[in-house]
Amino acid sequence: MTALSAAPATRRAPRAGRGPRLRRRLAPYVFVLPFVAVFAAFSVYPLFFTARLSFTDWRGTGAATWVGWDNYTYLLTNPAFWASLGNSAVLWLLIVPVQMVLGILVAVLLNNAKLKLRGLYRVAFIVPFVTPLVAVAQIWVVLFDQRYGAVNAFLGLFGLPDTGWLTTSAWAKPTLALLFLWKTTGFIVIILLSGLQSINASIYEAADLDGASKTRQLWSITVPLLRRTIGFAVVLQTLAVFQMFAEPFVVTQGGPYNSTTTAGYYLYNHITRADLGTGAANSFLLVVLVMALSLLFVRLLRAKD
Amino acid sequence: MAANPERTRPHVGSHVLLMILLVAFLFPVGWALLSAFKPADDIIRSPLTFDFGTFTFDNYTAMFQDVPIGQGFLNTAVVLLFKGAATMFLAPLAAFAFAKYQWIGKNLVFGAVLITLMLPTIVLIIPLLLEMKELGWVNTYQALILPGAVDAFAIFWMRQVISAVPDELLDAARVDGCGEFAIFWRVVVPVIRPGLAGLGVLTVMNIYNDFVWPVVAASSERMATLQVVLSTLAQNITGNRIGADYATVTGELLAASSVALVPLLVLFILLQRHFINGILAGSVKG
Repeated sequence: MTALSAAPATRRAPRAGRGPRLRRRLAPYVFVLPFVAVFAAFSVYPLFFTARLSFTDWRGTGAATWVGWDNYTYLLTNPAFWASLGNSAVLWLLIVPVQMVLGILVAVLLNNAKLKLRGLYRVAFIVPFVTPLVAVAQIWVVLFDQRYGAVNAFLGLFGLPDTGWLTTSAWAKPTLALLFLWKTTGFIVIILLSGLQSINASIYEAADLDGASKTRQLWSITVPLLRRTIGFAVVLQTLAVFQMFAEPFVVTQGGPYNSTTTAGYYLYNHITRADLGTGAANSFLLVVLVMALSLLFVRLLRAKD
Repeated sequence: MAANPERTRPHVGSHVLLMILLVAFLFPVGWALLSAFKPADDIIRSPLTFDFGTFTFDNYTAMFQDVPIGQGFLNTAVVLLFKGAATMFLAPLAAFAFAKYQWIGKNLVFGAVLITLMLPTIVLIIPLLLEMKELGWVNTYQALILPGAVDAFAIFWMRQVISAVPDELLDAARVDGCGEFAIFWRVVVPVIRPGLAGLGVLTVMNIYNDFVWPVVAASSERMATLQVVLSTLAQNITGNRIGADYATVTGELLAASSVALVPLLVLFILLQRHFINGILAGSVKG
């Protein structure tokens, strides 16, 4: 304390006094304290809590009973759990490959300095990403309504029949996938654009001299050199697709016939039924799955190095 | 953003593709914004046309009566103000400690930060909800503000930004007699302003759009944030207007969605560059 109170006197000559040096040693603890307090209370503690909870049967009130691995075996032998993973997997297939192909194409086009309206395109493609998902999901419900929606009205101009986009299990997933594609493709384009900008232009000049066509250059130069960025984008979208929740919550409530009960929505169902032990186990299983998938993609994309 | 100098002009086909995408990307939002000004019956009777002669605010006036959207905006504004301020001040401050000081436990804490960055957010929802129940915080502002108030990602990002600030600058300030906090406030903050701007737009966007946690922790009518209000629009409208037909509900739904869309769209158009920087840096999060 004496050192601290002596500090003002030695301010102008830091080497002479001990005050500033002590303050310099203590400062980081003070700076980091608010963060550490919030982080410990609302991230670290809950994480350990979930781990313990996943081994108990607990309905939100009363005492929790220890049930060992029961929650895990219950889920792993439950067709509904696997169906939720299956729904997410189908959505993944409908979303990620399409998004990557489209994203690469658009990013390559936008990377061309001679492209007219480049700025306009870039802004327009980000608009979906900055719009609130819940608002857009509501608009989706109206647009894709079977009887009154603009989509069926438009298709009707070509004599196509009204389709139950959100009310038939065959179309509900593609319609949700389209919402997800619409919402996030601009974001993927931005990530890929930043990857493209790190590719040296002289590689393309050399390929031009060798007479390689544009398509050939895309496949033999751009895609291989973008591999890391693409891998990164795939991992991000895999995480997002398997956690997808707000889209089915607003647009389809998981239906029809559970066809849009995604892994994230199924997890939420445990919460609404106050089956918290099972919910905790389910979230850990999802984490393991998502981590394994991420590692797999990272491996696959690195193997060719 | 500097582009690779491509040798050839883009093919006509690429313009066609980009134009189709442009229309597809702008259509849903544009359609909703315009249709909200149509008479409700016309929205469903002729969804593809717009007649300026029938321009009306009816959907908006009805919506403001039926939907507690003002309360939603107010709640979101409160959360934005407090949670946003906490993130914008405390995250760079903590990141400063990570980037420029040696202290006991630094690597341990930073390791924990990296692990939480990799975990899907859903894993914390249930225990956090229980913690809120334990604290009696369900349906309170605390529940909406405190968890995630100093975002782990913001720490990670700001640490990278502050690491790039030269040590000489900090030492010079020390020689001039600056205290440690003054170094942060008067030297570090001005230097990292572009990074802070990116963090600012990302934080606003995340808080404004946050849905999963608010719907789980604070879904009562009094505490519902804008996004939570929007998610139960149809129930709200039919609840307040018994026997309301589909057209009325749709008109109000589009009006409410439009009102929710506009603030971020305007902000985005004004601050495009910062948005794109923020989104790029934010993509590290996962």
